[in-house]
Amino acid sequence: MMDCGVKRRESVREEDDEVMIVTPLGAGNEVGRSCVYMSYKGKSILFDCGIHLGFSGMSALPYFDEIDPSTLDVLLITHFHLDHAASLPYFLEKTTFRGRVFMTYATKAIYKLLLSDFVKVSKVSVEDMLFDEQDINRSMDKIEVIDFHQTVEVNGIRFWCYAAGHVLGAAMFMVDIAGVRVLYTGDYSREEDRHLRAAEIPQFSPDVCIIESTYGVQHHQPRHTREKRFTDVIHSTISQGGRVLIPAYALGRAQELLLILDEYWANHPELHNIPIYYASPLAKKCLTVYETYTLSMNDRVQNAKSNPFSFKHISALSSIEVFKDVGPSVVMASPGGLQSGLSRQLFDKWCSDKKNTCVLPGFVVEGTLAKTIMTEPKEVTLMNGLSAPLNMQVHYISFSAHADSAQTSAFLEELNPPNIILVHGEANQMGRLKQKLTSQFADRNTKILTPKNCQSVEMHFNSQKMAKTIGRLAEKTPEVGETVSGLLVKKGFTYQIMAPDDLHVFSQLSTTNITQRITVPYSGAFSFIQHRLKRIYESVEQSVDEESGVPELQVHECVTVKHEAEKHISLHWTSDPISDMVSDSIVALILNINRDVPKIMAESDVIKIEEENKKKAEKVMHALLVSLFGDVKAGENGKLIINIDGNVAVLNKESGEVESENEGLKERVRAAFQRIQSSVKPIPLSAP
Amino acid sequence: MGTSVQVTPLCGVYNENPLSYLVSIDGFNFLVDCGWNDHFDPSHLQPLARVASTIDAVLLSHADTLHLGALPYAMKRLGLSAPVYSTEPVYRLGLLTMYDQYLSRKQVSEFDLFTLDDIDSAFQSVTRLTYSQNHHFSGKGEGIVIAPHVAGHLLGGTIWKITKDGEDVIYAVDFNHRKERHLNGTVLGSFVRPAVLITDAYNALNNQPYRRQNDKEFGDILKKTLRAGGNVLLPVDTVGRVLELILMLELYWADENLNYPIYFLTYVASSTIDYVKSFLEWMSDTIAKSFEKTRENIFLLKYVTLLINKTELDNAPDGPKVVLASMASLEAGFSHDIFVEWANDVKNLVLFTERGQFATLARMLQADPPPKAVKVVVSKRVPLVGEELIAYEEEQNRIKKEALKASLMKEEELKTSHGADNDISDPMVIDSGNNHVPPEVTGPRGGGYRDIFIDGFVPPSTSVAPIFPCYENTSEWDDFGEVINPDDYVIKDEDMDQTAMHGGSDINGKLDEGAASLILDTKPSKVVSDERTVQVRCSLVYMDFEGRSDGRSIKNILSHVAPLKLVLVHGSAEATEHLKQHCLKHVCPHVYAPQIEETIDVTSDLCAYKVQLSEKLMSNVLFKKLGDYEIAWVDAVVGKTENDPLSLLPVSGAAPPHKSVLVGDLKLADIKQFLSSKGVQVEFAGGALRCGEYVTLRKVGDASQKGGGSGAQQIVIEGPLCEDYYKIRDYLYSQFYLL
Repeated sequence: MMDCGVKRRESVREEDDEVMIVTPLGAGNEVGRSCVYMSYKGKSILFDCGIHLGFSGMSALPYFDEIDPSTLDVLLITHFHLDHAASLPYFLEKTTFRGRVFMTYATKAIYKLLLSDFVKVSKVSVEDMLFDEQDINRSMDKIEVIDFHQTVEVNGIRFWCYAAGHVLGAAMFMVDIAGVRVLYTGDYSREEDRHLRAAEIPQFSPDVCIIESTYGVQHHQPRHTREKRFTDVIHSTISQGGRVLIPAYALGRAQELLLILDEYWANHPELHNIPIYYASPLAKKCLTVYETYTLSMNDRVQNAKSNPFSFKHISALSSIEVFKDVGPSVVMASPGGLQSGLSRQLFDKWCSDKKNTCVLPGFVVEGTLAKTIMTEPKEVTLMNGLSAPLNMQVHYISFSAHADSAQTSAFLEELNPPNIILVHGEANQMGRLKQKLTSQFADRNTKILTPKNCQSVEMHFNSQKMAKTIGRLAEKTPEVGETVSGLLVKKGFTYQIMAPDDLHVFSQLSTTNITQRITVPYSGAFSFIQHRLKRIYESVEQSVDEESGVPELQVHECVTVKHEAEKHISLHWTSDPISDMVSDSIVALILNINRDVPKIMAESDVIKIEEENKKKAEKVMHALLVSLFGDVKAGENGKLIINIDGNVAVLNKESGEVESENEGLKERVRAAFQRIQSSVKPIPLSAP
Repeated sequence: MGTSVQVTPLCGVYNENPLSYLVSIDGFNFLVDCGWNDHFDPSHLQPLARVASTIDAVLLSHADTLHLGALPYAMKRLGLSAPVYSTEPVYRLGLLTMYDQYLSRKQVSEFDLFTLDDIDSAFQSVTRLTYSQNHHFSGKGEGIVIAPHVAGHLLGGTIWKITKDGEDVIYAVDFNHRKERHLNGTVLGSFVRPAVLITDAYNALNNQPYRRQNDKEFGDILKKTLRAGGNVLLPVDTVGRVLELILMLELYWADENLNYPIYFLTYVASSTIDYVKSFLEWMSDTIAKSFEKTRENIFLLKYVTLLINKTELDNAPDGPKVVLASMASLEAGFSHDIFVEWANDVKNLVLFTERGQFATLARMLQADPPPKAVKVVVSKRVPLVGEELIAYEEEQNRIKKEALKASLMKEEELKTSHGADNDISDPMVIDSGNNHVPPEVTGPRGGGYRDIFIDGFVPPSTSVAPIFPCYENTSEWDDFGEVINPDDYVIKDEDMDQTAMHGGSDINGKLDEGAASLILDTKPSKVVSDERTVQVRCSLVYMDFEGRSDGRSIKNILSHVAPLKLVLVHGSAEATEHLKQHCLKHVCPHVYAPQIEETIDVTSDLCAYKVQLSEKLMSNVLFKKLGDYEIAWVDAVVGKTENDPLSLLPVSGAAPPHKSVLVGDLKLADIKQFLSSKGVQVEFAGGALRCGEYVTLRKVGDASQKGGGSGAQQIVIEGPLCEDYYKIRDYLYSQFYLL
């Protein structure tokens, strides 16, 4: 695996949640292995998962090492082409990815056929095989389908897709995280053709547009012009008794070409005796998919009286052995590069006859025979190794369904995104397109970026967090300076503030009250407990339970003590930390009473003990003061006189007031006295 | 206050009449469903007529007549002109439903409430949306978002979610939570606490048998009838539940290796299946997965033959057969004709799979006990023949003659007027000897004539002024006026034919060839009606395959959705009242069942204002995660921002203590399992959970009462002072977050 020089900045991501990172793991300054990583606000998304057809084995994969697949939330596949989808079985079955995968219905149906065919056709060594048929089948179970415009939410990430044109089922994904929108076009076409709609314009502008730049600044011929060239070349060839070979990849453009030919034949009865064949088992299998998913096509197909993919003048050709080459015919055969298969067999057979024609209808891969014959060499090398003269005519008529420069400019002009990231283009083409767009958007503060593979782009978005205060808390809109307290509830990136009582109304959560009841053995007088509690707690209310008539105490306004039976006491309270503490202290008190005073005490003894406790309190207070200040004497009217190094303070035991010429001493005595009081006096209700 | 919402039923409350409701959201008027019944009774539409011009948008939920049957008429005659929203299947199949209704009605009456062109015009204003697609309104509806969701009853059937400022209004009628062969169940349960839920009580008192049992009985009764040599008629709606029945039959025929023919007969049967084949995305997950694997479209039917006219059925081979024919009501269409033919044979079976519409023949036949005889009007459009045709043609000629005579008489009047002008000029006499000419009478003309006379010659003194040529009208006349040659006007007939042909080809949807030829057939015809008494000797069976949740399930779903306010529509009075009382007790305290044209204000009591959460505040917030939610306590002070919304800042100093909040939802079964896993001995005893030897856990209060009371869950833990008590309490505490 190649080592990439630039690594993702983990620290930045952790520190600042407002940074969006976009990193091509493939298709950065290249065409092939489309794969774009995006992260924002702790969420991460992968767009497309393709392979590079120019490489094999692991080197054909996107640079997955740059990311941790286990942290990905969502993987969105735009369409079925190998350079956008063919790494998926590997990624799903052989990495730590645990997120969710989405693609459209038609894409999923064709994906399986296409990758199964890819596995069979790829003649690579076992070490280079990235996945097998079982991996493909297992991946099917993990793929979820999404329809155009359907909104799906996963872990707070909302996304939906638009028709992209290009091929059946192709989609552009719009992703919305906390109000920031990213549009990833995948491959798209802004021109309607026989069976596909033009790519749609989203209703809302994205903040970031990650857009293909396959054709850079090139312009396509108008559709009508190229169709006419196509049919004219074919018509003139067969009129002169020649044969037409159309090498084409099985899916996407082939269907469009077949529609054009079927329609042309229907309008020209003189051609009905000339057979048209398509020689691709894969295309034949996929025909039922095209016949079925017409809702993903344009109005022309949807409103047609009969299904246009039930071809009337075209039949399937399974192999060259059954092909009766007895006169003019048109054969569309795969593969498009003429490197092998039936297209190559027919080429070898027909290339020396000048009456014949080869029409190259689309993007031709570098290094293939199809690329070679575009330069019209005098000779070509046949499959059997022999040389043969190339006398047949060669025509290149592009039916590419990628957006060209004018379409890209118009698309971006309409969207007007503040950030544009170009992917899926060769470096030079991309650079030229960037210059063109820079001129176009010169008067706007638009960023146009062309990151290489593994090169991260960082963007900052100031998204204010807004919350909605609802329910009881919102009955009156507060003034500046007022306090608002309540529950802050977050779902996805939506915040609400509400009172606890409203939680079950506005969410699926609810609050719970736990009522506790505990019984403690106790055989003594109930009034004794009351007496002891009053020394600890300021608020001890005596009452009688209305139902049972037994005496009860309300302690600290949160725990009820009941004398339900001769031999035990019960405590009742609603759980919260303070109530739990109070109940614990009551239990401890009762246990202490049980241990220290085993015999039953008479009522009159309570008063006597109370007087003794009062004296003890005074003794304790006096002892503590002596330990702090040394010289403490009793003065007139119950006051204490404290003398330290000649400084005198007079303390009023009843009111806690301190008189002294020395302010420091005065304060110290006052504070000390307050602390002693809080230790020996009952606990008040509202502790500071 | 929150978003203002009012609901006004226009039809279909306290009964099973068609569905049509006005929902106003902040003054934006939605017409939700625009239904009619198979009788096409205009009296049902009078409330709609009164508000049609105020409608801003129409939302359609299902493709059958009860939900959209009035759309063409309302747009043509009632002034409804708003944009219409539906799913793709509701649009396409709704179009076919209305075609079938029109063609069926035209065959038995001079139906003139709407035409095929009216149907096309109405459906041209439909915007199609995908499930879960958010459509944002602008202009008057700014801020309103609508989205269709799966209802589960018919293909493309819709629960509408209308959202404004975070408040959801859910319109959910005729939903089905059960997954079927061709449909997923509804997603209604995934909506939680909407501000308003509008739902129906149609099935509130109806409980369904187990589905597997129902399916088996369905197949068995068909097989029994067919083997006894009888025919089976299943009256169905054009495009609704028939799809599920077709799949059931295909499956059963394959499993049982049956050879009896099955026919699906409507005016649009083949178009229906053609469209349905391309609606796989709208069907159940199972169908989509199956297609991904096998690429076999489940609606490439092996056993069911599609027919579009009854002649084909009459020409079918003799022998037992199954026919699915529209309409389900038996009021019109092929099902009506077949019933009349087959009812007399004791071997035959009419199998109803849904309750017939109120006051229809189907409903009458579903009574218990069923009637032994029924009076039906058998109407048929027949071409005119023999003397009637001659008389018709003579009448047509007479009408043409009268029309032409009228126009010619008009021309004659014009000529007479012109002749009068000529007469006026006759008395003109120029006296060459009189120098004084009266100017008001002869001045201009006299001057003109004078110039002519002077130029070249002098008239004799005794002559009169020259007279302009006047040609006598020599037309042939009889007692009725001028005789007309009809051949002069034959070309007009051809023009009319061309117009009809053109009109036919303009239809957006696909009409079957037979239906198209029926439209274009301009041969004179008439409707012949014959009332007769049909002896009902065949078997009559009703089985519920309506694809709706039953009463038990409806109540469960409503409890789960727990709307803040609930509006009940479309059910019998008993069903409506029953469901209302149930929901008042168990679902929410605000349950309404308005009458026709009674407006219910279900505006939310919710008060709300927006605030900005400052960074300082959020940096101190510690969220606890609970399912999809994160929750925290905040103490904040309201601050000011440059813009409108208030800002929340942290309080200065220590926050005041707040009453503790325990957040979480406990199920006794869950805590039982949890305590067991911790080694505590637990068992249920008398509705409480006994933990260990002495400690008891109990839930008190009505858990299902989500709307009423405080809503907090109440749990009681009690026991003697012991180590177990505190241990179990700790386990209990661990199930909650304390904020």
